This record gives sequence, structure tokens and C-alpha cells, in this order.
Amino acid sequence: MKKYLGVALGVLTAIGGFVDIGDLVTNAQVGARFGVSLAWATGVGVIGICVFAEMSGRVAAVSGRPTFDLVRERVGPRLGMLNLVSSMLITLLTFAAEIGGVSLAIQLVVSVHELLIVPVVALCVWLVLWRAKFSIIENLFGLLGLALLVFAVAAWHLGPDWGALTHQATHAAKPHDEFWSTYAYYAVALFGAAMTPYEVFFFSSGGVEEGWTPDDIGVMRANVLIGFPLGGMLSIAISVTAWVVLGPLNIGVDSLGQVGLPVAVALGKIGLAIALLGFVAATFGAACETGLSVGYSVAQYFGAQWGKYVRPNEAVVFHVVILLATIAAAAVLMTDVDPVLITEMSVVFSAVALPLTYLPILVVANDPDYMGEHVNGRFANVLGTVFLVAVVAAAVAAIPLMIWTRMGQ
Amino acid sequence: MTDTADRLQGSIDGLLHLMDRQLIDVDGLFLGKVDDVELTAGDDGLAITALLTGAAALVGRLGGRLGDELITKWGQARPAEPHRTRPWRLSMDLVDRLDSAVHLTVGRDEVLSRDGGEGLRLGSLAGMTVFEPDGDKAGRVLDARFEPRAARLVLRSLLVGRGGPGSLLGYDRRSEQGPRVLATLVRLWHRDTRVVDVDDADIDWTLEQVRLRERLEVAGKRALDV
Repeated sequence: MKKYLGVALGVLTAIGGFVDIGDLVTNAQVGARFGVSLAWATGVGVIGICVFAEMSGRVAAVSGRPTFDLVRERVGPRLGMLNLVSSMLITLLTFAAEIGGVSLAIQLVVSVHELLIVPVVALCVWLVLWRAKFSIIENLFGLLGLALLVFAVAAWHLGPDWGALTHQATHAAKPHDEFWSTYAYYAVALFGAAMTPYEVFFFSSGGVEEGWTPDDIGVMRANVLIGFPLGGMLSIAISVTAWVVLGPLNIGVDSLGQVGLPVAVALGKIGLAIALLGFVAATFGAACETGLSVGYSVAQYFGAQWGKYVRPNEAVVFHVVILLATIAAAAVLMTDVDPVLITEMSVVFSAVALPLTYLPILVVANDPDYMGEHVNGRFANVLGTVFLVAVVAAAVAAIPLMIWTRMGQ
Repeated sequence: MTDTADRLQGSIDGLLHLMDRQLIDVDGLFLGKVDDVELTAGDDGLAITALLTGAAALVGRLGGRLGDELITKWGQARPAEPHRTRPWRLSMDLVDRLDSAVHLTVGRDEVLSRDGGEGLRLGSLAGMTVFEPDGDKAGRVLDARFEPRAARLVLRSLLVGRGGPGSLLGYDRRSEQGPRVLATLVRLWHRDTRVVDVDDADIDWTLEQVRLRERLEVAGKRALDV
């Protein structure tokens, strides 16, 4: 019974924790302009993150080694450093975007200027990362993030023409007023938003934090394979609401308020209140995950003690890195840069940094020295190889597309 | 952990199995990475005598050709500190076992001593240019293979081929290891990579190069089956 509760809790937190500021903004933007004609990109991204999260989780459970350990062991200190610097920049950017997202969501409620909220939010995030238990960080915000299910309710309540939506999702077509180049740009952005590297850093390090053993592989798999796809469905629900409400009015999404607008139209004040709670929980939870990921990656590269499972004074480097990262993220936001813009950039740059992270995971998941009998099966290898190719393609295409379409203008 | 076999009892590839691994103390706490490995000449040849850790070891490997320069700069960053360019040293006597990490027999408090740096380094052996007897370039040292002799791991052979250290990704150990596409690519890239017995090679540590006594095709057998 306890095992089933564990699976249920894991699945619920995976759903709530899947959506972060990148998914919220990108899916609403894409939904308002392209409807669900790009749902396939989210779908592909979700399958990709399932494949590699399962692999990295399995490596962590069997060998006790999280992802960044593998990165340095397999590609050496020099390429490892390149990966550390690039993924650190992206994760920091995402961290800033998440803190900005929390601030924007709170601003929608209290109407105080965002710059006054940012330092308070950053302080709260740091306090949680310093003091709170790992299980609280993971479960509490994951569960509260389920409030975002209100988007699924709103989509259903708005009563769109499901037949037309299905047609849109299953045919390679775009709205007539859009270009194929922007279509491709947003496909890469959705892919990057679903597969951001911090997710595997956090997921595998979290496995070590919780002391996974090979016996936990089943539960871990259930969480990934049920939770992440449901989280992906939630992302698509956000697209649907944006398409139905904002699409006909030709409103583009450039603020968090516009992401929530369709819920207000469909369900009124109560719905909006729940959506706002979901925004705060999802972005705050993701802020904690990204903040921890910065600490995990740096400490794992240099071999310093990391983790919430030891006392802070036993993992000083780890906590100092987190503190500095929080200050840096807050400092970026205090320049009054638009958090939505940071979000857009972070998901595109994510796509660029993915190959260096996912290649070592794929190689080590096949190495019997680490994995014993738990090496990848043929299915995981076929999918892993296909997605490695997809990830490289997205990485190569991301920057040229960003420049060519002027960030999807 | 399914594979708790201690790798120190068998043959290992220095770079693949030991370098850059996590150091874990007797209480399970982390104290650093294997940033380099100290080799000492003995009766049987070069043996692994200590693990080196810390910036003074890492910076040299990070810098590549600029490594020595970077270490000097590292020392100059704080002239008041004695022996700053010497890495922290951890004798192999303190190592309990080697699996996906290096497990020590002691706690991490004050276990390191700053007396590394005198011996030879695996980090400088890796990547050395290898020359044929007639002076042609044969490739680079991609990894170094050690075997246990009288409770020490002794250098027995070198993997010589094109590309840099680490580009074998571990496929020299098990060429049937998946995924198939990746294994095929590595096999193709390293089709001329060979294992050379250390007795057939002269290592010049000052010039940082290796000279073979016989041509590579003759001296070495293929590292990967094609």
C-alpha cells in the first residue's frame, strides 16, 4: 500500500513539477499563434525527457552517480568544463526566469511593482534551499502546482471544436498568417522547454538525495512514464486555452497575465485565483529545482560535497554556490529586464546545450561497469539514439533560427 | 549497487576507470575528484602510488598546452602561500576500493597532504604525441592500461590512436556495448587505434612525447575489433 502511495505522490509531483515558467510562457505564446499545430513538438520533447530522465534516474539508482559526475568522467575535464559553463549559464538564466515568474504571478495579485517583489522572492527561495528538507521542496510545490490543472478544466469548459483541434494537431500545417521559419523556431523552443538540461541534473541528483537503490527503479519509472506525459498534456491544455480565447482576438502573449487570461474568461475569478496559485507554486518549485541544479552541477564537477541530505555545514561549497546563484539571478532581474524575455532565451539556449549532457548519460547507461544487469535494453537504446540525433539537430538549428526569425517576431 | 567488484584487483584503464572519479570518505562524504594520478617508477615499471586532487592538479589538465603556464599563474595568485602549485596528495594505501567512485578507508578531515607534484602524472602521459621509430607521427596516447603486480597497479600498455583522450568513450573495453550506432561510430573513428606494450615504447617525460621501438601496426594489436 505504501508503495502505491509513493507512486501516486511521485506521479502527482511529476505532473505539478513538470510545468515551469518556460512551459507556461512558450505554450501560451505558441497556442495563441499556432493553436495546437505544434503539439507534436511538445509531444516529442516529453518523450525525449522521459527517455533521458529514466536513464539518468536508473544510473543514479544503480551506481549512486548523478548526471554531472558522468559528464566529467566520460568527456574529461575540458569538455566537461565547457558543458559546466554553458549549462550553468542556461540554468542561471532559467533560475532568474523562475524567480521573475514568481514575482510576476504575485504582482498580478498585489499590484506592487515587480522590482519590489523580486528581492523578497529571491530571499524566500534561498531560505527554502538552505533550510527546508528535500522532500518538502519536491512534494509541496509539486502538489500545489497541480492547481494548474485548472487549465485543463478551462479548456474543457471553453468547449472548443475538438474535431478541428485534432485535425490541426495531426496535420503538418500552420495558420496562414505565420511563416514556416517561425513555426520551426517555436518547434525548437517547445522542444527545448520540455527537455531543459536542469531537469536531468535535478532528477538524478534528487535520486541520490533520496537514496534510491535498484529496488526503486520501478517506482521511478512509473513516476516518469506517467507523470511527465500528463504534465505534457497540461502544457498542451495551456496552448488550447490560449488558442481558443486569444487566437481569434490576435493577442500575442508577452506577459504572465495573458497566460492566465483564458482561465479567467472560462471560469471567472475563482478559476483565475487557482491559476495564480498554480503559477506561484509551479514557478517557485522550479526556482528551487534550478537553484539546486546550479549547486549540484558545480559541486559534482569539482567533487565537493553536495546535497540536502547532509547538514549545510558539511556541504559548504554547495550552499555558497546556491547563495551566489540566487544573488546573481536577483541581480539580473533587478535590471528590470523582462522575465518573459529571459524565459524565451533560456529555452532556446537549452536546446543548444543538450547534446553534451545527454551523450554521457546514454554511454554510461550502457556500461555494465556502472549498471550491471540494469544496462539499457534495445528499446531505450533505439529511443536514446533517435533523441540524441534530434537533440543535435535542434542544437544546430536553434541559434540560426533565433536570429533569422528575430526570436519569433 | 549491483557491481561492487573492486576494480583495483584487476586490469584498469587509468583514464576511463580512475581519472575524474569521485572521492568518497569512510563516512560517505565527498572530498574531491581524482584530478590526476601520481605514477612512480619501481622494479616492475610505473606504478600508481597516489591520487592527486585540487586546483593545482586540475588546472594543469584543463589548460592543455597552456597547462604549465596556468599552474604557474595559479601559484602567483597567492605568493605568500607555500607550495601552492603542488596538488593535494592521497596515498593509494588509503584507498579501500574502486567502483563507480573511489572509496577511502579514512574520514575526510585533514586527510590530504600537500606533498604531491614530485612524481610523474598520468594526466601528462595522456595526450602525449606518439612517434614511429622513423619519426612519423603515429597518434596520441588515449589511455593507459594498468595491471596488478604485488599489490600495486603497474603500467603495462598504452592505447595509441587518433583523437584525444576520452574519445574512446569506454568502447575499447567492451566493443559490443550499445547503443549500436554510437559503438559503430567509435569503432570507425578508432579503427587504427592500437594497444602497445609499454616495453615497446619509450616515454620522454620532459619532451612529453612517446617514441615506439617498432611501427605501430607491428607493435600493437587493435584496440577495437572492426
